[in-house]
Amino acid sequence: MNTKPILTILGSLAATAVLAIDLPPVGSAAPDFSLPDAKGKPHSLSEYKGKYVVLEWFNPECPFVKKHYGGGNMQKLQEQYTSKGVVWLTIDSNAPGTEGNLSPEQAEKVANAWKTKQTALLLDPEGKAGRAYGAKNTPNMVIINPEGKIVYEGAIDSKATPNPGDIPSSTNYVKVALDESLSGKPISNPTTKPYGCSVKYK
Amino acid sequence: MLLMRVTLPRKLSLGLCLLLALSAREISAQSYQGRELVKATLLADTSAVVPGKPFTAGLLLRMAPGWHTYWKFSGDAGLPTEIKWKLAPGWKAGEIEWPIPLKTNDPGDIQTYGYQDEVLLMQEITPPPVIDDSVVKLTEEVNWLVCEKICIPGSANLQLELPKSTTSAAANTELFARYRRLLPQNWPGSNVATANWSRAGSDLHLTVTSAAVANYPSADFYPLPQGNTIVGHPKVQSRKPNEIVFRIPIESADKNLLSMQGLIVFAQRENGSDRVAWRLASPAIASAVGSAPARGTITFLFFGFLGGLILNLMPCVLPVISLKIFGFIQQAGQSRQKVLRSGLAFVAGIFVWFIGLALLLIALKAAGREITWAFQFTNAYFVLFMSVVVLVFALNLFGVFEISLPQTTTRGLLGATERKGEAGSFFQGVFATILATPCTAPFLGTALGFAFSQSPAIILSMFLAIAAGMSAPYLLLCARPAWLRFLPRPGPWMLHAKQFMGFLLLATLLFLLYVLGAQRGLEGAIWASCFLLIVSMACWMKGAFFSPVASGKAKMIAGATMSILLLAGAVYFIGDKFSAAKIGPGESQLPGDWQAFTPERLQAELAQGRSVFVDFTAAWCLTCKFNEKSVLESAAVREAFQRHGVVKLKADWTSGDPAITKLLQQFGRPGVPLYVLYPGKSEEPIVFPELLTKSIILDKLENISPTVASQ
Repeated sequence: MNTKPILTILGSLAATAVLAIDLPPVGSAAPDFSLPDAKGKPHSLSEYKGKYVVLEWFNPECPFVKKHYGGGNMQKLQEQYTSKGVVWLTIDSNAPGTEGNLSPEQAEKVANAWKTKQTALLLDPEGKAGRAYGAKNTPNMVIINPEGKIVYEGAIDSKATPNPGDIPSSTNYVKVALDESLSGKPISNPTTKPYGCSVKYK
Repeated sequence: MLLMRVTLPRKLSLGLCLLLALSAREISAQSYQGRELVKATLLADTSAVVPGKPFTAGLLLRMAPGWHTYWKFSGDAGLPTEIKWKLAPGWKAGEIEWPIPLKTNDPGDIQTYGYQDEVLLMQEITPPPVIDDSVVKLTEEVNWLVCEKICIPGSANLQLELPKSTTSAAANTELFARYRRLLPQNWPGSNVATANWSRAGSDLHLTVTSAAVANYPSADFYPLPQGNTIVGHPKVQSRKPNEIVFRIPIESADKNLLSMQGLIVFAQRENGSDRVAWRLASPAIASAVGSAPARGTITFLFFGFLGGLILNLMPCVLPVISLKIFGFIQQAGQSRQKVLRSGLAFVAGIFVWFIGLALLLIALKAAGREITWAFQFTNAYFVLFMSVVVLVFALNLFGVFEISLPQTTTRGLLGATERKGEAGSFFQGVFATILATPCTAPFLGTALGFAFSQSPAIILSMFLAIAAGMSAPYLLLCARPAWLRFLPRPGPWMLHAKQFMGFLLLATLLFLLYVLGAQRGLEGAIWASCFLLIVSMACWMKGAFFSPVASGKAKMIAGATMSILLLAGAVYFIGDKFSAAKIGPGESQLPGDWQAFTPERLQAELAQGRSVFVDFTAAWCLTCKFNEKSVLESAAVREAFQRHGVVKLKADWTSGDPAITKLLQQFGRPGVPLYVLYPGKSEEPIVFPELLTKSIILDKLENISPTVASQ
């Protein structure tokens, strides 16, 4: 078979086809949820549409969570960004009977004792919101943009240890992502591997 | 957390006690709320240090029942144990040799790798050639995370004291031997086992081929991701007696990741104490990466070319192709140049369509849309549009009207007839290719599945290969027009043959209407047919009153009537009736004992311990229909499904259900057909080939029978 014309055509077409399309990070829509805070007031994600929302999975018994609350690192972040109009929702998805699960009273106590600064500490004992986001760790961080798309998912920072001494020398991914988002830049590191305790689901 | 120093070990053998007494060491225990959680001990496999002679040191961690520490890769939670040696200059400590861990699944799909009860983490220690001290003291700092319901970090400073000597005896033999047996082995030679990696979308596929696979009911891949790679849960995609395919989802954005370190773990049952493993390290991977994908791409491009060639014989395209052949026959007597130009125009039509399709797919992929083959057929309006095109061509073949391209606009630069011939050829090429798509899935499925996961350049090359394959016969005839003489001479038979082709096109139309019926119900098909009737009338008017010989006034009236008819028909039948048509309540019933697929139903059936067979199908998928009629609905297969208590679910992708699209992609398929048997909740699904045979189904069903019978 004379393949010369085929090869010529294929070759010339293939030669012009040097394409390099960089795929943008795909942001899927953030699943909606409605969870009560310690006072029983429901908070749903949809009511915060139009704002940046940070989701933080929480377990006060977990050494990795204590790492960031013990020295006030997490409270500082919460204060800094809620003052810039970011909504910060801390979620406890641990099932009743597991360590880290909080009754409304306990939740209020922890929030007061730790002087937390989030918009709301939400109780998810059924693990509905946790499972919807596939949250596997505490802390596990998610950032949602004003259009309701997930723009960051992963760890709080770059050093996967329970040692608070590592905080100053680590990169806080959530801070970087929020600063980039708020100044209209694309997020340089949209996915990282979260570290910490596992969420104790039902 | 509290560190307690314990002076005497407990559960050690008498011999070990003697050795322990000879070499002083530190033991450290971690306590939490009055309970001892972890006891850490530093041991050596030697009674003395011989200068320059390597030995093995082992960190023995004993965990309280129910508590575990983690492997080098901890999985979704936890942290690996860390060892930092504080060695004098000249001493060297090797990497930690991690025994094969246990895999744990916790609620919420949390998977971790670690050790329960006890683990020995070994490291090779190389002493310098000259040692001054008579007693050697080696110190290490250990950090671990121990978890049960809650995680507690622990740490210890441990010291190993060994006398310097010119000879040494083995120590702690049983313990070290036990854990050495649990170490992964190096990858065996390629005559024993081979590993091949491929990338399909966000998944890595690892194919391990070895006779050893048959000896172990449980086989798994424990990943060791490097750097920032985030790995999902590896799954067994398919298993044959001597081959196993793992699907390893990559959740981070490294699109160029083509392989991963890890262990292939075999056992009689998951986490069995008999577990053995092969280590898949970087060098083995490097060689696989170096050769396989390059060869893979060329092989797949070749299949693309072959697939394109075969397309010419598909029932979908045959009528159009025949038209082209006619063209050649008619032109046989004409100038070579003219034949060449017409042939190339036809080929250009083929290429333009495929390039357009490739660019569309690349754009959709870039936009993050889910892409599937023959996706345009999941859109009812596309099917309707194709129906109109097919009908118009059929009427043209019957001689109801002649297609005259706007001559007034093209007359001028080139001879009108030439231009008409070329434009016609070009659109025939485009048309042939559009019709070809539903026929291509089974032939090109594999090649396209590969292509969809690749870079834009490869996607484009793949489509070009298919276009080249489809064009090959015409290019050949253009290059060697003399060969046209092997085709029959023109004559009156051509008119009859042409009309006969019209009937073939009408048969294609019936198929398209069947698809429309499956998408929009009987009503939808009827409303579409009403519109087709209007189109036929418009065609007839075009032939009867809009002919070149007709007067200007007659033309104007005919043209206006046609336009009004078509517009009114489109607005009423399509815009109003067809768009509102839905599948009626009585029409969606599935044949016999099939149930409609939903992801929830699949999970529910599996949760109840049943085996489930899923048939991914679509009304426009001819291969699916063939498989269903000849295999799935055959008496033997029906009876076998019933006997094994298999639940049969039909996943109908006719209208492109996104839940089904997602599942198809999880199996690395760009479209239907796909046949999957889920033997049970904990077992990996079995994927069947696209062309089914009764024996394949019956074989697999016999294999799952023990599981089913025990329930």
